[in-house]
Amino acid sequence: MGTRILTVEDDERIRTAVKLALEDEGWEVTEAVNGEEAIAFFARDPADVVLIDIMLPGLDGFEVCRAIRRMADVPIVMVTARADTHDVVAGLEAGADDYLTKPFVPKELSARIRALLRRVRGTEVPGAVNRMRFGDLEISPAEGTVTRAGTPIHLTKTEFRLLVELAANAGRVFSREALLEQVWGHDYFGDGRLVDVHIRRLRTKVEADPADPRHVVTVRGLGYKLQG
Amino acid sequence: MRRPGFNPFGSLSLRARIIAAFTTGIIVIAALVAMSAVALTRSNLLDQREHTAQIRVRTNGALMADSLEGVDLNDVDAQSLMGSFSASGKPSALLFDPTSRGPARSISLDPRFGTSVLPEALVRAVIDREQPSLMRFSSRGQVLLAAGVPLGGHRGGYFEIVDLDDIADTIRKLTFRLLLATIAASVPGALLGAWSSRRVLRPLAEVSQVAETIALGRFDARLADAGWADDPDLGRFVHSFNSMADAVSDRIERDARFASDVSHELRSPLMTFNASLEVLRNARDEMPERAQLALDLLSEDMERFTQLVEDLLEISRFDAGAVRLDLGAVLLVETIRMATRSLSGESITVDAAADVDDLVILVDKRRLMRILANFIDNARKYAGGTTRIEVTTVPASSQEAAGDDEVLHEDADHRDRVRIVVEDSGPGVPEELRKRIFERFSRGVQGGSRSSATGVGLGLALAAEHARLHGGDVWVEPRTDGVSGARFVVELPVVEPDNEEHGETLVEVTT
Repeated sequence: MGTRILTVEDDERIRTAVKLALEDEGWEVTEAVNGEEAIAFFARDPADVVLIDIMLPGLDGFEVCRAIRRMADVPIVMVTARADTHDVVAGLEAGADDYLTKPFVPKELSARIRALLRRVRGTEVPGAVNRMRFGDLEISPAEGTVTRAGTPIHLTKTEFRLLVELAANAGRVFSREALLEQVWGHDYFGDGRLVDVHIRRLRTKVEADPADPRHVVTVRGLGYKLQG
Repeated sequence: MRRPGFNPFGSLSLRARIIAAFTTGIIVIAALVAMSAVALTRSNLLDQREHTAQIRVRTNGALMADSLEGVDLNDVDAQSLMGSFSASGKPSALLFDPTSRGPARSISLDPRFGTSVLPEALVRAVIDREQPSLMRFSSRGQVLLAAGVPLGGHRGGYFEIVDLDDIADTIRKLTFRLLLATIAASVPGALLGAWSSRRVLRPLAEVSQVAETIALGRFDARLADAGWADDPDLGRFVHSFNSMADAVSDRIERDARFASDVSHELRSPLMTFNASLEVLRNARDEMPERAQLALDLLSEDMERFTQLVEDLLEISRFDAGAVRLDLGAVLLVETIRMATRSLSGESITVDAAADVDDLVILVDKRRLMRILANFIDNARKYAGGTTRIEVTTVPASSQEAAGDDEVLHEDADHRDRVRIVVEDSGPGVPEELRKRIFERFSRGVQGGSRSSATGVGLGLALAAEHARLHGGDVWVEPRTDGVSGARFVVELPVVEPDNEEHGETLVEVTT
């Protein structure tokens, strides 16, 4: 059985065209016309990837995103009208892993989905060893687990991948662009906010005090690094 | 309509004019008061002096007439005749012998004020017409008052001369003091002027402050109902100013909403087009040759059309004033290197000065990338590609005047600036087109070509808008190394990141 994508889009013509294009790429596509339907559908029959248009009648895309994120750790891609609005950050805060702006090229969407799935399916991170310790933080890339002071921490796949990427070269400074390329598979035109929002979310989980991070630290003007 | 040049205060500021008007007004009033005070005092003093002189002359005249009874005129001397008079004036008399009708005999206590000093008219009035008279005159530089009474029975007249110099002196002193007072009055006049000008100008200052706030993008700023708003004239002004601001902000809001509606309306069909087109492209091999050709045309123009819509929407956002900078820390040279590689598909030499190599600036990366993409795209279309990219910094002190381009960031002038130059080896841009090329839809200006490769010129206009939003600028200049070609330059202020999380920093700037 192929990978199933749930697309949530109220415009029938767009929905159909995107479905056709995605099916050409080899994905299996199921459709939902609004947020309520999407959540009900996902609860009954979880898809592997969810594509959500933010502008939906009734329950908006952010709500749908949060609801699905509560149910499962599937990759979620948001579709926004514009890249320079608060929608992008709000969508990422709501739990989306990546976003695209309309009109996007379906091939680009396919590439993003592939990158997300690679992450989910736990491709080996080069340089990552079996078990890594950073102070009270313990990361097991192979098992996909993180514990802080012995307590397991639940991370989304993207957060986990981000942490492992930083951990594999602990102490090295990663620019936003480098992380975008390695974690999201974006080119240099990627949006740095993607990294920032995910780093922020990661900190709320792995740091004792997210406002004063000890492990995932910002290097002024350059990017981020992980330390013990 | 008032023509300039007719107002003597025309070249002064309103404040200076109000102060000058108040000062002048106060001085004029003070001077008028002083002048009438002087005139009044003078006439009072004179009246009083004349009155006293008249009474005394009458009394002394009567005394003299009595003492002349049965006295031989030839034997009288001034001392025995007038020595007992209480005369503060200088008494003198012209005496006739009524029996002999001979020439008059003149007697006086003070020879300097004898009858010879008396004016002819007064003597005639008293002696000939026998009328008590009074006359003011001046003699040898002295102001004098002479009063005379006839002695009766054609025996002559008695006169007294009063020195008025002390009154003149008093008036002079008074005038001098009032002059000083008048000058002193100009000080409170000026202060009053300054105070009222502040009162008058305060509404104007508040209006301009609110107008500036609105211009900076805070469209909800209004004139508060200050105390002066109760004034019937100013109240109306406040009302009309506020309704104007309402109308303007409504208009801007409507424009922004329209832009956003149009954006949504255009993006939806474009989404369908692009997705459907991709399905068609996937099936291209199964199509007849003619359909393939049509599909290729459609594909190419759909790409252009999509870009055009993006650009139009972007520019309409600028026009609607609904634009914000999304600043983030960017390792500049590295970013440019990576960006040019993915933009041109090949590696373009990026020459960066040593001090720029690890420069990190706060910039809206998306907009910087758009500027670079437009420059590189432009070089590809018109000049056979970018030959090299140069990154240098310009210290704040050595900047030439930025010309007439407005600088949005107040402090942008005082910062170092970084210049990114995209150089090509094409035909270059003729001087007369160097400004126009950054205007909207100035298509095909480079090389005069209007071939299918010539895009509709919104890219450079957008690049200019993006740069200005940062407080920077764009321009094109010829190559300096003698080789034909153009240098497209974007100059941005160097803003270094000063706190940590700059990824989310949204700085709102409205054009």
